[in-house]
Amino acid sequence: MILANYLAAATVFSLGLLLIMMHRDLVKIVLGLSLMEASCYLLLVSMAYRRHSTAPVLSGPPKGQSPQDLVNGPVADPVLQNFCLTAIVIGVAVTAVFLTIAVRAAQHYRCVDADDLTALHG
Amino acid sequence: MTEQRHPDARPPHTLHRPVLASALMAAVATAFVLGLTGLPTEGAPLPAIARHAMQIALPKWGQQEVVSEIVYGSRGFDTFGETFLLLAAVLSVVVLSRGREPRAEYLGEATAGRREQAEIDPQDQADQGETEARSAERAEEAGTESAEGEETSGGPPPAADPDSIGLGTRAPERAAAMTVVVRGAARTSAVFLFVAGIYLAAWGFTPGGGFPGGAVLTGVALLLYGALGHQRINRLVRPNLLEPLELAGAIGIIVVGVLGLARAGSMFANFLRLAEPGSILAGGSEQLYSGAELVEVATGLTIAIFSLLGIGHDWAPDEQEPDA
Repeated sequence: MILANYLAAATVFSLGLLLIMMHRDLVKIVLGLSLMEASCYLLLVSMAYRRHSTAPVLSGPPKGQSPQDLVNGPVADPVLQNFCLTAIVIGVAVTAVFLTIAVRAAQHYRCVDADDLTALHG
Repeated sequence: MTEQRHPDARPPHTLHRPVLASALMAAVATAFVLGLTGLPTEGAPLPAIARHAMQIALPKWGQQEVVSEIVYGSRGFDTFGETFLLLAAVLSVVVLSRGREPRAEYLGEATAGRREQAEIDPQDQADQGETEARSAERAEEAGTESAEGEETSGGPPPAADPDSIGLGTRAPERAAAMTVVVRGAARTSAVFLFVAGIYLAAWGFTPGGGFPGGAVLTGVALLLYGALGHQRINRLVRPNLLEPLELAGAIGIIVVGVLGLARAGSMFANFLRLAEPGSILAGGSEQLYSGAELVEVATGLTIAIFSLLGIGHDWAPDEQEPDA
Protein backbone atom coordinates (compact mmCIF):
# COMPACT_ATOMS: atom_id res chain seq x y z
CA MET A 1 0.00 0.00 0.00
CA ILE A 2 2.02 2.89 -1.33
CA LEU A 3 -0.44 5.41 0.10
CA ALA A 4 1.17 4.81 3.50
CA ASN A 5 4.49 6.02 2.04
CA TYR A 6 2.83 9.16 0.70
CA LEU A 7 1.31 9.90 4.08
CA ALA A 8 4.65 9.20 5.79
CA ALA A 9 6.30 11.71 3.43
CA ALA A 10 3.59 14.29 4.26
CA THR A 11 4.11 13.64 7.99
CA VAL A 12 7.89 14.00 7.80
CA PHE A 13 7.56 17.21 5.76
CA SER A 14 5.07 18.64 8.26
CA LEU A 15 7.32 17.73 11.19
CA GLY A 16 10.21 19.52 9.48
CA LEU A 17 8.02 22.57 8.97
CA LEU A 18 6.91 22.44 12.61
CA LEU A 19 10.55 22.27 13.72
CA ILE A 20 11.38 25.37 11.68
CA MET A 21 8.37 27.31 12.92
CA MET A 22 8.68 26.32 16.58
CA HIS A 23 12.37 26.92 17.11
CA ARG A 24 14.73 29.81 16.50
CA ASP A 25 17.84 27.67 16.98
CA LEU A 26 19.71 27.85 13.66
CA VAL A 27 20.91 24.25 13.87
CA LYS A 28 17.37 23.02 14.51
CA ILE A 29 16.15 25.08 11.55
CA VAL A 30 18.76 23.36 9.33
CA LEU A 31 17.65 19.99 10.73
CA GLY A 32 14.04 20.88 9.90
CA LEU A 33 15.02 21.76 6.32
CA SER A 34 16.90 18.45 6.05
CA LEU A 35 13.79 16.61 7.26
CA MET A 36 11.72 18.36 4.58
CA GLU A 37 14.31 17.37 1.98
CA ALA A 38 14.25 13.76 3.16
CA SER A 39 10.47 13.69 2.86
CA CYS A 40 10.83 14.70 -0.80
CA TYR A 41 13.21 11.78 -1.41
CA LEU A 42 10.71 9.39 0.18
CA LEU A 43 7.88 10.81 -1.91
CA LEU A 44 9.83 10.60 -5.19
CA VAL A 45 10.97 7.03 -4.62
CA SER A 46 7.48 5.99 -3.50
CA MET A 47 5.92 7.56 -6.59
CA ALA A 48 8.39 5.61 -8.73
CA TYR A 49 7.31 2.26 -7.23
CA ARG A 50 5.07 -0.06 -9.26
CA ARG A 51 3.56 -3.33 -8.01
CA HIS A 52 5.47 -6.49 -9.07
CA SER A 53 8.01 -4.30 -10.85
CA THR A 54 11.74 -4.72 -11.30
CA ALA A 55 14.49 -2.12 -11.34
CA PRO A 56 14.66 -0.21 -14.65
CA VAL A 57 17.68 -2.16 -15.86
CA LEU A 58 17.79 -3.79 -19.28
CA SER A 59 20.06 -6.71 -18.46
CA GLY A 60 19.64 -10.36 -17.47
CA PRO A 61 16.47 -11.05 -19.50
CA PRO A 62 14.67 -14.39 -18.96
CA LYS A 63 15.53 -17.24 -21.35
CA GLY A 64 14.23 -16.66 -24.85
CA GLN A 65 13.92 -12.88 -24.41
CA SER A 66 16.23 -10.07 -25.47
CA PRO A 67 17.06 -7.04 -23.29
CA GLN A 68 14.84 -4.96 -25.57
CA ASP A 69 11.90 -7.22 -24.59
CA LEU A 70 12.23 -5.88 -21.03
CA VAL A 71 11.35 -2.40 -22.24
CA ASN A 72 7.59 -2.98 -22.04
CA GLY A 73 7.74 -5.04 -18.85
CA PRO A 74 6.76 -3.85 -15.35
CA VAL A 75 9.52 -1.58 -14.03
CA ALA A 76 9.82 1.21 -11.48
CA ASP A 77 9.69 4.75 -12.90
CA PRO A 78 13.30 5.66 -13.79
CA VAL A 79 12.58 9.38 -14.25
CA LEU A 80 11.52 9.88 -10.63
CA GLN A 81 14.47 7.81 -9.41
CA ASN A 82 16.71 10.17 -11.37
CA PHE A 83 15.11 13.22 -9.69
CA CYS A 84 15.72 11.66 -6.29
CA LEU A 85 19.35 10.88 -7.10
CA THR A 86 20.31 14.41 -8.08
CA ALA A 87 18.23 15.91 -5.25
CA ILE A 88 20.26 14.00 -2.66
CA VAL A 89 23.59 15.38 -3.87
CA ILE A 90 22.27 18.94 -4.14
CA GLY A 91 20.67 18.54 -0.69
CA VAL A 92 24.02 17.70 0.90
CA ALA A 93 25.67 20.76 -0.63
CA VAL A 94 22.84 23.12 0.32
CA THR A 95 22.84 21.78 3.89
CA ALA A 96 26.59 22.52 4.02
CA VAL A 97 25.85 26.13 2.99
CA PHE A 98 23.21 26.50 5.73
CA LEU A 99 25.52 25.00 8.37
CA THR A 100 28.36 27.32 7.33
CA ILE A 101 26.06 30.31 7.76
CA ALA A 102 24.99 28.96 11.17
CA VAL A 103 28.63 28.55 12.26
CA ARG A 104 29.51 32.07 11.11
CA ALA A 105 26.46 33.51 12.88
CA ALA A 106 27.34 31.58 16.04
CA GLN A 107 30.90 32.89 15.95
CA HIS A 108 29.79 36.47 15.40
CA TYR A 109 26.88 36.61 17.84
CA ARG A 110 28.12 33.95 20.30
CA CYS A 111 24.76 32.18 20.08
CA VAL A 112 22.66 30.26 17.57
CA ASP A 113 19.28 31.77 18.44
CA ALA A 114 17.82 33.59 15.44
CA ASP A 115 16.06 35.99 17.82
CA ASP A 116 19.42 37.28 18.97
CA LEU A 117 20.75 38.04 15.50
CA THR A 118 19.92 41.69 15.85
CA ALA A 119 22.14 43.35 13.25
CA LEU A 120 19.27 43.88 10.81
CA HIS A 121 16.77 45.20 13.35
CA GLY A 122 15.45 48.64 12.46
CA MET B 1 25.24 30.85 26.76
CA THR B 2 21.90 30.80 25.00
CA GLU B 3 20.00 31.58 28.21
CA GLN B 4 21.62 35.01 28.40
CA ARG B 5 19.82 37.17 25.91
CA HIS B 6 21.32 39.93 23.86
CA PRO B 7 20.46 43.36 25.28
CA ASP B 8 18.93 44.46 21.96
CA ALA B 9 16.89 41.29 21.53
CA ARG B 10 13.12 41.42 21.59
CA PRO B 11 11.39 39.96 24.66
CA PRO B 12 10.71 36.24 24.36
CA HIS B 13 7.29 35.24 23.09
CA THR B 14 6.68 31.66 23.95
CA LEU B 15 2.97 31.08 23.32
CA HIS B 16 2.30 32.42 19.83
CA ARG B 17 5.02 30.31 18.23
CA PRO B 18 3.66 26.81 18.98
CA VAL B 19 0.09 27.94 18.24
CA LEU B 20 0.92 29.51 14.88
CA ALA B 21 3.33 26.71 13.96
CA SER B 22 0.79 24.00 14.77
CA ALA B 23 -1.93 25.79 12.78
CA LEU B 24 0.34 26.20 9.75
CA MET B 25 1.56 22.62 10.03
CA ALA B 26 -2.02 21.35 10.22
CA ALA B 27 -2.97 23.37 7.11
CA VAL B 28 0.07 22.14 5.15
CA ALA B 29 -0.48 18.54 6.28
CA THR B 30 -4.13 18.70 5.21
CA ALA B 31 -3.19 20.07 1.79
CA PHE B 32 -0.56 17.35 1.44
CA VAL B 33 -2.93 14.56 2.40
CA LEU B 34 -5.54 15.82 -0.05
CA GLY B 35 -2.98 16.19 -2.82
CA LEU B 36 -0.98 13.03 -2.24
CA THR B 37 -4.00 10.74 -2.02
CA GLY B 38 -4.76 11.79 -5.60
CA LEU B 39 -1.36 10.70 -6.90
CA PRO B 40 -1.01 7.60 -9.09
CA THR B 41 -0.65 4.47 -7.00
CA GLU B 42 1.48 1.37 -7.51
CA GLY B 43 -0.93 -0.08 -10.07
CA ALA B 44 -0.84 2.88 -12.45
CA PRO B 45 0.87 2.55 -15.83
CA LEU B 46 4.27 4.21 -16.28
CA PRO B 47 4.14 7.79 -17.59
CA ALA B 48 4.86 8.15 -21.30
CA ILE B 49 8.17 9.92 -20.66
CA ALA B 50 9.42 7.02 -18.51
CA ARG B 51 8.38 4.45 -21.14
CA HIS B 52 10.08 6.55 -23.82
CA ALA B 53 13.30 6.53 -21.79
CA MET B 54 13.07 2.74 -21.53
CA GLN B 55 12.63 2.44 -25.28
CA ILE B 56 15.58 4.62 -26.32
CA ALA B 57 18.09 3.50 -23.67
CA LEU B 58 19.53 0.60 -25.67
CA PRO B 59 19.13 1.67 -29.32
CA LYS B 60 20.11 5.32 -28.89
CA TRP B 61 22.62 5.18 -26.05
CA GLY B 62 23.65 1.52 -25.79
CA GLN B 63 22.90 1.84 -22.09
CA GLN B 64 21.35 -0.95 -19.99
CA GLU B 65 20.95 1.27 -16.93
CA VAL B 66 17.93 3.42 -17.75
CA VAL B 67 18.33 5.83 -14.82
CA SER B 68 21.87 6.65 -16.01
CA GLU B 69 20.53 7.14 -19.53
CA ILE B 70 18.06 9.71 -18.17
CA VAL B 71 20.62 11.47 -15.95
CA TYR B 72 23.25 11.91 -18.66
CA GLY B 73 21.16 11.49 -21.82
CA SER B 74 17.51 12.49 -21.91
CA ARG B 75 17.87 14.96 -19.03
CA GLY B 76 21.51 15.78 -19.68
CA PHE B 77 20.92 19.51 -19.85
CA ASP B 78 19.00 19.50 -16.54
CA THR B 79 21.82 17.57 -14.92
CA PHE B 80 24.19 20.21 -16.28
CA GLY B 81 22.18 22.89 -14.44
CA GLU B 82 22.06 20.86 -11.24
CA THR B 83 25.80 20.29 -11.37
CA PHE B 84 26.46 23.99 -11.53
CA LEU B 85 23.99 24.50 -8.69
CA LEU B 86 26.24 22.14 -6.73
CA LEU B 87 29.27 24.18 -7.80
CA ALA B 88 27.53 27.39 -6.66
CA ALA B 89 26.77 25.82 -3.27
CA VAL B 90 30.39 24.70 -2.89
CA LEU B 91 31.61 28.19 -3.80
CA SER B 92 29.24 29.68 -1.21
CA VAL B 93 30.69 27.43 1.48
CA VAL B 94 34.23 28.32 0.41
CA VAL B 95 33.53 32.06 0.46
CA LEU B 96 31.76 31.89 3.83
CA SER B 97 34.25 29.62 5.54
CA ARG B 98 37.59 31.05 4.50
CA GLY B 99 37.48 34.59 5.78
CA ARG B 100 40.90 34.12 7.33
CA GLU B 101 42.60 32.36 4.47
CA PRO B 102 45.70 34.23 3.29
CA ARG B 103 44.50 34.56 -0.28
CA ALA B 104 41.46 36.52 0.95
CA GLU B 105 43.68 38.92 2.83
CA TYR B 106 44.13 41.22 -0.16
CA LEU B 107 40.67 42.49 0.69
CA GLY B 108 41.97 43.16 4.18
CA GLU B 109 38.74 42.41 6.08
CA ALA B 110 40.52 40.73 8.99
CA THR B 111 43.10 43.50 9.33
CA ALA B 112 40.50 46.24 8.98
CA GLY B 113 38.24 44.47 11.47
CA ARG B 114 40.99 44.26 14.08
CA ARG B 115 41.88 47.94 13.56
CA GLU B 116 38.25 49.01 13.81
CA GLN B 117 37.73 46.91 16.92
CA ALA B 118 40.77 48.49 18.53
CA GLU B 119 39.49 52.00 17.72
CA ILE B 120 35.92 51.42 18.89
CA ASP B 121 36.71 49.52 22.05
CA PRO B 122 40.38 49.73 23.00
CA GLN B 123 39.66 48.20 26.42
CA ASP B 124 38.11 45.07 24.97
CA GLN B 125 40.30 42.09 25.68
CA ALA B 126 39.90 38.48 24.65
CA ASP B 127 38.28 36.26 27.27
CA GLN B 128 39.62 32.86 28.26
CA GLY B 129 37.45 30.95 25.80
CA GLU B 130 38.57 33.09 22.90
CA THR B 131 42.21 32.85 23.96
CA GLU B 132 41.99 29.06 24.15
CA ALA B 133 40.21 28.83 20.80
CA ARG B 134 42.77 31.03 19.07
CA SER B 135 45.63 29.14 20.72
CA ALA B 136 44.23 25.77 19.59
CA GLU B 137 43.71 27.08 16.08
CA ARG B 138 47.26 28.42 15.84
CA ALA B 139 48.55 25.09 17.13
CA GLU B 140 46.46 23.20 14.60
CA GLU B 141 47.69 25.37 11.75
CA ALA B 142 51.28 24.85 12.88
CA GLY B 143 50.77 21.09 12.80
CA THR B 144 51.52 20.49 16.45
CA GLU B 145 49.39 20.70 19.56
CA SER B 146 52.08 22.16 21.76
CA ALA B 147 53.01 25.14 19.61
CA GLU B 148 53.76 28.51 21.19
CA GLY B 149 53.79 27.00 24.67
CA GLU B 150 50.11 27.76 25.19
CA GLU B 151 48.94 24.25 25.87
CA THR B 152 46.34 24.36 28.63
CA SER B 153 44.83 20.89 28.66
CA GLY B 154 47.76 19.25 30.47
CA GLY B 155 49.04 15.73 29.91
CA PRO B 156 51.54 14.60 27.32
CA PRO B 157 51.36 16.30 23.92
CA PRO B 158 49.87 14.03 21.25
CA ALA B 159 52.29 12.39 18.87
CA ALA B 160 52.41 13.82 15.36
CA ASP B 161 52.37 10.29 13.96
CA PRO B 162 49.39 8.30 15.29
CA ASP B 163 51.12 5.01 14.45
CA SER B 164 53.83 5.77 17.01
CA ILE B 165 51.28 5.57 19.84
CA GLY B 166 51.59 2.17 21.53
CA LEU B 167 48.71 -0.20 22.25
CA GLY B 168 46.99 0.54 25.54
CA THR B 169 48.23 4.12 25.68
CA ARG B 170 45.61 6.45 27.05
CA ALA B 171 44.53 8.79 24.33
CA PRO B 172 45.30 12.43 24.94
CA GLU B 173 42.35 14.75 25.12
CA ARG B 174 43.07 16.31 21.77
CA ALA B 175 44.05 13.13 19.94
CA ALA B 176 43.68 13.60 16.22
CA ALA B 177 43.60 9.91 15.36
CA MET B 178 41.57 6.98 16.67
CA THR B 179 42.80 3.63 18.04
CA VAL B 180 44.99 1.25 16.07
CA VAL B 181 42.01 -1.06 15.51
CA VAL B 182 39.96 1.70 13.90
CA ARG B 183 42.95 2.95 11.91
CA GLY B 184 43.66 -0.54 10.57
CA ALA B 185 40.02 -1.13 9.65
CA ALA B 186 39.76 2.26 7.98
CA ARG B 187 42.96 1.77 5.96
CA THR B 188 41.78 -1.64 4.77
CA SER B 189 38.21 -0.70 3.91
CA ALA B 190 39.21 2.61 2.30
CA VAL B 191 40.95 0.75 -0.53
CA PHE B 192 37.88 -1.37 -1.30
CA LEU B 193 35.52 1.58 -1.00
CA PHE B 194 37.69 3.71 -3.29
CA VAL B 195 37.72 1.00 -5.96
CA ALA B 196 33.96 0.50 -5.51
CA GLY B 197 33.36 4.24 -5.98
CA ILE B 198 35.32 4.28 -9.23
CA TYR B 199 33.59 1.06 -10.35
CA LEU B 200 30.15 2.56 -9.79
CA ALA B 201 30.90 5.27 -12.32
CA ALA B 202 33.19 3.39 -14.70
CA TRP B 203 30.86 0.57 -15.60
CA GLY B 204 27.70 2.62 -15.72
CA PHE B 205 25.66 -0.20 -14.20
CA THR B 206 24.53 1.89 -11.28
CA PRO B 207 21.79 4.49 -11.33
CA GLY B 208 23.48 7.82 -11.78
CA GLY B 209 27.07 6.61 -12.31
CA GLY B 210 29.21 9.57 -11.26
CA PHE B 211 26.77 10.91 -8.64
CA PRO B 212 26.85 7.94 -6.24
CA GLY B 213 30.48 7.21 -7.19
CA GLY B 214 31.51 10.74 -6.21
CA ALA B 215 29.61 10.51 -2.94
CA VAL B 216 31.46 7.26 -2.13
CA LEU B 217 34.85 8.91 -2.77
CA THR B 218 33.89 11.77 -0.44
CA GLY B 219 32.92 9.14 2.13
CA VAL B 220 36.37 7.55 1.82
CA ALA B 221 38.03 10.91 2.52
CA LEU B 222 35.80 11.41 5.57
CA LEU B 223 36.50 7.88 6.81
CA LEU B 224 40.25 8.49 6.67
CA TYR B 225 39.84 11.89 8.29
CA GLY B 226 37.88 10.41 11.16
CA ALA B 227 40.25 7.50 11.71
CA LEU B 228 43.67 9.02 11.03
CA GLY B 229 43.22 12.71 11.76
CA HIS B 230 43.60 15.76 9.58
CA GLN B 231 47.39 15.70 9.44
CA ARG B 232 47.39 12.37 7.59
CA ILE B 233 45.09 13.52 4.79
CA ASN B 234 46.42 17.04 4.38
CA ARG B 235 48.37 16.01 1.30
CA LEU B 236 45.22 14.72 -0.39
CA VAL B 237 42.53 17.04 0.91
CA ARG B 238 43.90 20.50 0.22
CA PRO B 239 42.44 23.37 -1.77
CA ASN B 240 45.39 23.58 -4.19
CA LEU B 241 44.64 20.07 -5.40
CA LEU B 242 40.85 19.78 -5.07
CA GLU B 243 39.82 23.16 -6.48
CA PRO B 244 41.61 22.73 -9.85
CA LEU B 245 40.24 19.16 -10.01
CA GLU B 246 36.71 20.39 -9.42
CA LEU B 247 37.03 23.05 -12.09
CA ALA B 248 38.52 20.43 -14.44
CA GLY B 249 35.39 18.32 -13.85
CA ALA B 250 33.17 21.32 -14.59
CA ILE B 251 35.10 22.14 -17.76
CA GLY B 252 34.89 18.47 -18.80
CA ILE B 253 31.09 18.59 -18.50
CA ILE B 254 30.93 21.76 -20.61
CA VAL B 255 33.22 20.22 -23.25
CA VAL B 256 31.05 17.06 -23.48
CA GLY B 257 27.94 19.22 -23.89
CA VAL B 258 29.45 21.51 -26.52
CA LEU B 259 30.91 18.59 -28.49
CA GLY B 260 27.45 17.03 -28.53
CA LEU B 261 26.05 20.30 -29.85
CA ALA B 262 28.75 20.65 -32.51
CA ARG B 263 28.87 17.05 -33.72
CA ALA B 264 25.39 15.68 -33.05
CA GLY B 265 23.14 18.72 -33.09
CA SER B 266 22.15 19.21 -29.44
CA MET B 267 23.81 19.73 -26.07
CA PHE B 268 24.99 16.42 -24.55
CA ALA B 269 23.86 14.38 -27.56
CA ASN B 270 25.98 11.28 -28.08
CA PHE B 271 28.90 11.91 -30.46
CA LEU B 272 30.82 8.68 -29.91
CA ARG B 273 30.42 5.23 -31.42
CA LEU B 274 28.30 2.99 -29.18
CA ALA B 275 30.16 0.07 -27.64
CA GLU B 276 28.80 -3.30 -26.55
CA PRO B 277 26.14 -2.75 -23.82
CA GLY B 278 27.50 -3.73 -20.43
CA SER B 279 31.10 -2.91 -21.33
CA ILE B 280 33.11 -0.05 -19.85
CA LEU B 281 32.68 2.05 -23.00
CA ALA B 282 28.90 1.49 -23.22
CA GLY B 283 26.81 4.63 -23.29
CA GLY B 284 29.01 6.62 -25.67
CA SER B 285 29.59 10.18 -24.49
CA GLU B 286 27.43 9.47 -21.42
CA GLN B 287 30.44 7.76 -19.90
CA LEU B 288 32.55 10.89 -20.36
CA TYR B 289 29.78 12.95 -18.74
CA SER B 290 29.53 10.47 -15.88
CA GLY B 291 33.31 10.51 -15.36
CA ALA B 292 33.41 14.31 -15.27
CA GLU B 293 30.46 14.25 -12.87
CA LEU B 294 32.35 11.80 -10.64
CA VAL B 295 35.24 14.27 -10.35
CA GLU B 296 32.88 17.21 -9.87
CA VAL B 297 30.76 15.58 -7.15
CA ALA B 298 33.67 13.94 -5.29
CA THR B 299 35.77 17.11 -5.15
CA GLY B 300 32.80 19.46 -4.64
CA LEU B 301 31.37 17.58 -1.66
CA THR B 302 34.85 17.08 -0.19
CA ILE B 303 35.65 20.79 -0.48
CA ALA B 304 32.29 21.77 1.05
CA ILE B 305 32.52 19.36 3.99
CA PHE B 306 36.18 19.99 4.79
CA SER B 307 35.74 23.75 4.46
CA LEU B 308 33.01 23.46 7.07
CA LEU B 309 35.16 21.22 9.29
CA GLY B 310 38.17 23.49 8.99
CA ILE B 311 36.31 26.76 9.40
CA GLY B 312 38.39 29.36 11.22
CA HIS B 313 37.50 29.92 14.87
CA ASP B 314 36.98 33.61 14.34
CA TRP B 315 35.27 34.19 17.64
CA ALA B 316 33.82 37.58 18.35
CA PRO B 317 34.60 38.75 21.89
CA ASP B 318 31.90 37.71 24.35
CA GLU B 319 30.28 40.80 25.83
CA GLN B 320 28.22 38.81 28.32
CA GLU B 321 31.05 37.15 30.20
CA PRO B 322 33.54 38.96 32.38
CA ASP B 323 37.14 38.73 31.24
CA ALA B 324 39.06 35.93 32.87
